[in-house]
Amino acid sequence: MAEESSESVNASSPSSPPSPPSTGPDASVSGTNLDGEAPRVEPTVETDEATITDDAELERTIGLSGGLAIGIGTMIGAGIFVFPGLAAGNAGPAASLSFAIGAVIALLVALPTSELATAMPKSGGGYYFISRGLGTLAGTVVGLSLWFGLVFATAFYLVGFGYYVVDTLVEVGVAAGEWLVIPIAVLAGVAFTILNVTGTENAAKLQNGVVALLLSIIVCFLAVGGLDAAGVFGEPSTPERFAPHGAMPILSTAALVFTSYLGFAQVATVAGEMKDPGRNLPLAMVGSVLVVGVLYVATIFVATSAFGSDQLETLGETAMVEVGRHYLGTVGALAILVGGLLATMSSANASVLSTSRAIYAVSRDALLPRDASRINLRYGTPHVALGLAGGPIVVLTATGRVELLAEVASFLHLVMYGLICVALLALRRNEPEWYDPAFRVPGYPIVPILGALSSFALVAFMQPASRWIGLAIVVLTAGWYAYYARDVSLRGVL
Amino acid sequence: MTDDTDPQTSDDASHPRTRILVPLPILEGGAVSAGLADLLEPLDVTVLGFHVLPEQTPPDQARLQYEDRATDALEDLAVEFGAEDGTADYRLVFTHDRKQTIDRVAAATTAGVYVVPGATGPVERLLVALTGDVAVDHVCAFTAELVGDRDIEVTLFLATDDEAAGRDLLEAARERLTDRGIDVQTDLAVDVAPLEALVDAAADHDAVVMGERAPSLRSLVFGEEAERIAAESVGPVFVVRRLEGDDGEERTLEGDGEGTESDAARDDDGEQSKDGG
Repeated sequence: MAEESSESVNASSPSSPPSPPSTGPDASVSGTNLDGEAPRVEPTVETDEATITDDAELERTIGLSGGLAIGIGTMIGAGIFVFPGLAAGNAGPAASLSFAIGAVIALLVALPTSELATAMPKSGGGYYFISRGLGTLAGTVVGLSLWFGLVFATAFYLVGFGYYVVDTLVEVGVAAGEWLVIPIAVLAGVAFTILNVTGTENAAKLQNGVVALLLSIIVCFLAVGGLDAAGVFGEPSTPERFAPHGAMPILSTAALVFTSYLGFAQVATVAGEMKDPGRNLPLAMVGSVLVVGVLYVATIFVATSAFGSDQLETLGETAMVEVGRHYLGTVGALAILVGGLLATMSSANASVLSTSRAIYAVSRDALLPRDASRINLRYGTPHVALGLAGGPIVVLTATGRVELLAEVASFLHLVMYGLICVALLALRRNEPEWYDPAFRVPGYPIVPILGALSSFALVAFMQPASRWIGLAIVVLTAGWYAYYARDVSLRGVL
Repeated sequence: MTDDTDPQTSDDASHPRTRILVPLPILEGGAVSAGLADLLEPLDVTVLGFHVLPEQTPPDQARLQYEDRATDALEDLAVEFGAEDGTADYRLVFTHDRKQTIDRVAAATTAGVYVVPGATGPVERLLVALTGDVAVDHVCAFTAELVGDRDIEVTLFLATDDEAAGRDLLEAARERLTDRGIDVQTDLAVDVAPLEALVDAAADHDAVVMGERAPSLRSLVFGEEAERIAAESVGPVFVVRRLEGDDGEERTLEGDGEGTESDAARDDDGEQSKDGG
């Protein structure tokens, strides 16, 4: 033990044992975890079309549209289909300002994330950048927190899905009470896990189709609603005070709805599979934030124009269905129901996948037992990691606490986003030889500094319960590091 | 990269040979029939061991677990194709998309042909399909090289609606091959469904050679032609790739040094694209 820890202290110094030319200072990966497993990091050459290791090649198969579909598909659900009622109840029409604040913060983080992703186009996303830029402790905390953060987010999407299923049942004439929401959500959680273990052959193509369909539903809805809100037809809506509850709720609502913007970082988790990452990663990340940000702000504006925010609040998680009915009658209500079902499903499914990738990334680096990333040869899927995602998701879904789930998910992601910005600052200040991003943040260092500050600041506006749970998870993961992986060194390793 | 098993074949200017890509699903017991290995003897072979993963699995995750096993299997296969004589090498790819991998590796190794490996015994009869918008010159040149001076009967097959033009084309192609001492028959199918006619004709042949066609709506819906023919006929199907910017003028069969220049040109292209990364 003592030997290994002294090794890990030296590991990040440049005088490591001889390493192959052309690749990063890979020899500085060192140390083992409690089970004696060392990080598996091999020298690789990245091209636009493949990652080439010593003996094998890894094909890059996701294009720009695939990347955008991952980002938009993960993000589009919550902000439009679950939050309007809750957000408007908290902040009034100013909820659209809350969404705008969320979008700006997401953008401030998406830019640094893009730079890091083009410098390290590998699977693992935010975890990878932080563990390489800031070391193993920060890496462990973020990697494991990301796992739990995605689990909370998925549970939140599933509960939203449950509400939409119940509303759909009511719409088609089946009397279903709200008590059905949780059982349905839990069932859906189990179904997604099983589906992902046994293989979803064409899910990516399906996802692209779902995203296209969702965007067209939303754009139609916004066009009609926007014209109406502007008084072009229909009776003019009653003017309402923009921020009836003052400034503070605007910020706390921004913290609550930030869950709507978690998807852009999921694009970075497939960085290793993306074609031409230098171009496609920044475009997909920044593009998906811009697209959903604009749609969110416009949707809240339209929704609060249709009903007063107090009435919107009483309609709860599926308030948008009534907004759809207000503008387009039954057709509008059905379109929003279909959209809500698709959107919450696609967000939940994408997050289950990301969770299993997060677990793979930490287990490859020996921060979790290696068995956590084993693949099932029959289905070709990481069944252990998917189980480690699905189990906690089902448990959390059963609590049904929408706002708490959303806020804890936001908390854990915001910690990661803040640290991504810090990692960028750390790497840029002392640029390693291998650091050669194809995309550089405009406005450095102001953008990453603002990104870090605003991410951490947003945490301060959450409910105390969410902050305590989030903090407990961070402390727990740090404890895991101290217990299990103290001797592993990852800093400065590509 | 695994070119080290065979460092000089592609640069061996005195003996330029077509490189053929043999893609095999390496972890699914991908074995090669003896007939195919014998048939490919006159060619340089790159065995492309690939493993297709569902999208929920990062390719790198599969590599960590299966690389050693796949490499062992590939080494054995490469020996069957003549790795010890320096005429075969292998590459291993983990991918989500088989077709994309074949295209990329074919371009990187400058392989002009890939094969959908089917089961076959000794190959005595070869069906060569010239149907559609394919590079007839390339297909004929490859056929001649594949057959060499071996005793293999070739049937040239063409399905068309224009009987006269089809007959001319078949006759011209036949002449080119008979000039090389190859025993050639022709089979012209007029006004019939081309794919079904080809599958019927393939039934009494041991292997099929065809040109790659531009992707069409039909191939998107029904899958790739070569795949379907391979599935129907069981035997191997050779697909002569379309080469962008390769005009094929130099690939007529009139002269002796057929294909030499264009082969060399393609080598250069390939090397550049490889270094580009």
